[in-house]
Order: sequence, then C-alpha cells, then structure tokens
Amino acid sequence: MEGYTVEDLMVPLAEYATVSSGCTLQEAVLALEKAQEEFDHSKYRHRSVLVLDINDHVIGRLNHLDALRALIPQQQNISGMGDPARFGFSNHFIRKLHQQRLQQAISLEQLCKNAREFKVEEYMRAPNNDEFILHTSGITTAIHQLVQENLRSLLVRKEKKIIGILRLTDIFSAFYHTMARPEKP
Amino acid sequence: MNGLEKLLTRIVQRVNINLREFDFDVALYIKGLVSFAQLETVHGFYVVSPLHTLDFRFSHSNLAGSYFMGKCRTTNAILYKSDIRGDELKKKGSVFKVEGFAIPLTKNEGIRIEDSFLVKTLVHNFSHDPESPERFTISNTVSTHFTNIHGSPTDGSFLGPFVTVDLTTVNDCVIGPYSYIQAGEINHFHINTGTIWVRSAGHFNFLYRFPKSGLRPYISFEPGKQPQGIFIDFINTHNREFEKIFATVNRQTPVTVPDTASLDRFAVVLPQTTIAENVLVAQRSFLQNSHLGKGSNAQENCFIINSTLAGYNVTAHGAKLIGVDLDTKVFVGFNSFLRGRNCRLKIGENSIIMPHTIIDSSTPLNIPADSLVWGLITGKEDLLTNSIPLKKLQKIHSGFSRGNLIFEGSGNSFVAAFQDRILHILDANGAFYNGKKGKGHAQKNQHISFNIIQPYSEGKKKGLYPTIVIKP
Repeated sequence: MEGYTVEDLMVPLAEYATVSSGCTLQEAVLALEKAQEEFDHSKYRHRSVLVLDINDHVIGRLNHLDALRALIPQQQNISGMGDPARFGFSNHFIRKLHQQRLQQAISLEQLCKNAREFKVEEYMRAPNNDEFILHTSGITTAIHQLVQENLRSLLVRKEKKIIGILRLTDIFSAFYHTMARPEKP
Repeated sequence: MNGLEKLLTRIVQRVNINLREFDFDVALYIKGLVSFAQLETVHGFYVVSPLHTLDFRFSHSNLAGSYFMGKCRTTNAILYKSDIRGDELKKKGSVFKVEGFAIPLTKNEGIRIEDSFLVKTLVHNFSHDPESPERFTISNTVSTHFTNIHGSPTDGSFLGPFVTVDLTTVNDCVIGPYSYIQAGEINHFHINTGTIWVRSAGHFNFLYRFPKSGLRPYISFEPGKQPQGIFIDFINTHNREFEKIFATVNRQTPVTVPDTASLDRFAVVLPQTTIAENVLVAQRSFLQNSHLGKGSNAQENCFIINSTLAGYNVTAHGAKLIGVDLDTKVFVGFNSFLRGRNCRLKIGENSIIMPHTIIDSSTPLNIPADSLVWGLITGKEDLLTNSIPLKKLQKIHSGFSRGNLIFEGSGNSFVAAFQDRILHILDANGAFYNGKKGKGHAQKNQHISFNIIQPYSEGKKKGLYPTIVIKP
C-alpha cells in the first residue's frame, strides 16, 4: 500500500452512481442499482448515490439508510423532531414508539409507492468537511480519516472538484491483499 | 458609524462567534428590526420603591423604552422596550436549594446583561443555575420580539420571536420562533420553530412540535423582515392604547382597584373591566371588558379582552385571552393565544393550558375541568390529539404519544411539578394574601414610582446612555 495515493484506489466519479438535484427518490434508487450492475471493480457494492448540482458539484449523498428513511411516513417520524434521542428520550422508548406507529401504518407496498415521488434533496445528507480528502493524500491519511470520523467513504477532491469516491471497502481490499501476501524472507 | 452603530456591530460579532458552528448570521435577522431613530429618542425608566432593591449600573448601553426593577447591570448592551424585572431575585442571606445542594447567598443576586441586544424581551425570575446563584447573566445574545427569558442564564444565543426559555441555562443555541424550552440546561442546540420541550431528567420528558403549516399564519420570521403573522397583527392593533399611556405623565387610575391588588401604571385598562382583591396587573398588559377574579394575575404583555377569570388564575407572561371564560385555578402558560372568534371558549377549573398553546376556534369550545391542553387547536376535533385529563396522565408511568406529542416518564411527576409551580406563582403574586400573611407582588407593587433616564441626543455618543449608577 506504500506509495499509493487515494486517487489510485478511488472509484472515479464517472463510474459512480450520481443523480442531479431535483430528481426523485425513485430515480436515485434506480441509478444506484444501475451503477452496481455496470460496476465490476470488486465484489463490494455501491452503498450510496451522489447528488450533483447543475455545475456537477457534489451537494449531497444518499445511502441505503437515507432511502429507507423515506419509507417512514411523516406521522411516524416522531413529532418531526429528527432525532428524539437528542432531546433526552431513551432508545427503548423511541423503538417502542416506532413499533406502535408502524403497527398503525399502511402496507410496505403503499409506502414504497408514496416514496417514489419524494425529492432526493429531502433525504440526502450534505457532506461535511471531514468527508473530503485531497486526491494526492496517502492511504494512511485516508485510513486515519475514515477511522477517526467513523466514515464509510471519502469524497476525493482535486482543486475544487470532486473527482471520485474512496470507499472503506477499497481501502480494506488493499489492506487485505497486503496482509495476505507472503512476507519476503 | 456612531457609537450606537458600533455597539450593535460588536454585539452581532459576539453572537455570531458563538453560533459559528451553525453557520448562523444573526445580522440577517436583526437588520432593520429596530430603527436607530427609535433607539436614539425613546427614554428608559426604572422603579423606585421602598419594598424593592434599588441597585443599577448602566454602562455603554442603549436602554430605549426599557423598564428596570431590582438589581441590574448592563454593559455594552442594547435593550429596546424590554422589561428587566428583578423582583424575584435571590436575597443576600437566603439559601438556594437546587439539585440536592443548599447554597447560602452572600450577596443579593443581580441581573447582568452584557454584549446583548434584546428587543421587547421580558427578563424575570432568578437564575436556576447552581453554578451562578448570585448572577443571572445574559451575554452575547440576541433576543427578538416578545421573548421571555425567565430564570434562564443565556450566553451566545439567538432567540426568535415569542420564544420562552424557562428555568434553563442556555449556551450557544439558536431557538426558533414560538418555541418554549424548560430543560435545565441546553448547549449547542438548534431548535426548530414551534418546539415545546419540558424535561426534568429522570422524571419526565414532554416534546411537542407545532405543524409548520399550522403555525405559519400565527408567526413567521424571515431574514431581513419583521416578524409577521396573527400574533404581531393582533398586538399592533392595540399599540395605540399603549402609546397613549406611555405619553402621559400623570395618569388617573382607570378602574377601582382594591387595597390588596396592584395595577401597574403602564398597563392599559379599558371599560368595562373589574379587578378583584389580590389581583396583580403587570406593566404592558392590556385589559378590556373583562373581570379578573380574586387572586388572578395578568403578567407582562398579556391581553385579556372580553373574558372572565373566576379567580386564582395565572395568565403567564405574554398570554392572550379573547372571548374566554376561565373557571377557578386555570393556568394559562406563557405566550398562549386563546381566542373565541365570535364564540366563547370555556375552560374548566384546575385545567393547565401548556405554555405556547394556541386555541383559536370559531365554534364554542368547552374544555373539561382538570385537563392538560397543548399545541394547536382550531376546533373540537383537535382536542382529541391535544388534550388529556390530568387523572389519566397521572396514571402514565412509562410514556405515550398523541398527535405531535411524545411523552416519556411519569405523568404523575409532570402534573405534580406543574401544580406545585402554579401554586408558587400564585403565592409569589400575593393571590393568597389574607391581610396579614402572604404578601406578594400584588401588594408590594402598589407604591412604586418611575424615574426616567435618557441618552445623549447628539454627537458621537448619540443614542448611548452615560454611565449611570443608581443606589438608594
């Protein structure tokens, strides 16, 4: 792994699942699946789709969990509070409340149908500063950043543009191959 | 840039530094909120009374239209039409009991306002922070129209219009319009518009969020604009009456006030209003065609119009009653808006109307006795999701949810905490005075007079008040 930069291991943006701002959740989910089918770089799957503005700048990303969040109807999204745990509610209470409300909810099929037309911006997450890394950075820097920030991927920046995504799985794969290689006598 | 403009710039910077994690620019919200002409010309005033502490120090501040009572320091601050009411501050020699501590006080508690801009804000009660028992500090903070900072030391924060922070230490927070927070201590929170949060750790947790579209007609606040909506329109409709009483030097008491009651000189009272014994009517409250029964009170910025209060009713700071009949011991919380539109709203005895509740109905409503009511109610059907009998709530041990409310903990503790507090408020206001014992604000606030203080009218310090120290 020595001598490699993040650019060497990243998935180029062109090969990654992207959608434009304003598209629907259905389009985003289809883009994610399509990119997975076309991508045979490794056995690991894409786990998120990037959302681009009209200048092709990354403004957010949507992962599997974000997409599933859209299946929770507003009335079940407790009080529209986002995360009730922040307000001091116990996890046990929150889970119980979700269960109660899910029991009163409509079918999964109907939930999926409803979610199709949601705008991707409503459920994507805007990346924060800790999620970016320079394309010339070394792998150890990337590992440090992923571990410290507890991230699954980093957005690789060249000048002001995002040129690719460095996934935890790519780093782990390189790490595995280095570990598996027999030591030189 | 004159001294006043420099002062405002300095305050904005201080607040923004504290809120940088939210990328929040307070300048966008306060631009044009108050005109410099108003700040430069309106005088401030303070209370002189034999029964209240007289201890003020104003330094490098603007105090336009603001009212001071008790012990207060302002430094590098702009206070516009704000009420700094220090009649419940802790006294030297008393013992402050909090969180299992008994803290003896070696000096009188004082309110300190530093590097802050308060607009039409009420500051009242005392610091509930055991770490600062003798100082109730508001620093690096901007608060906007009709906010209540009630027993809540506040630093580095922005409070939107009609916010109440109650018995809570607030650090580095943005609190959206019409939110009510009583949570002990909050740090680095960005709280959305219309959040009602009452938490006592280990006992109960009450969280309600107004529906956005439902609250928007009542209050909205966007950068570069004045607060807008029904609340502001309603208040503006009645402003003229306040202008008259603030412009009058010697004012005749407009109604008969019993010896045990108190009517502030800066309250508006219009016919046919009657005031019973042990009633407290605070400054900037508005009464019209209403009856206030024994031991009731109308606190700052309250409006009571075409209403009857049977007795021992608390109408907390900023609450508005229009066409409402309160039975005995009904509590109406801060900034609530109760309006019967061409009909009557009747609220049964001992009911608790949670702070920041809106009941705005065009059909008659009868709220049963011993109810807890919260949130937005525009008709009978909303009571199903926004009220609960107190007896039922008292039986809840783990939690429940109803509409936009989630509640965890002991319902019994919640009810007990509110009932204790209501009793304390009535007691502090002198509602139970029997001629010998139980004197409170209603009796102590009868013989107060006001002195006027004014800023420089020209030059570099135009609008700033000279350093003033006032002692007995």
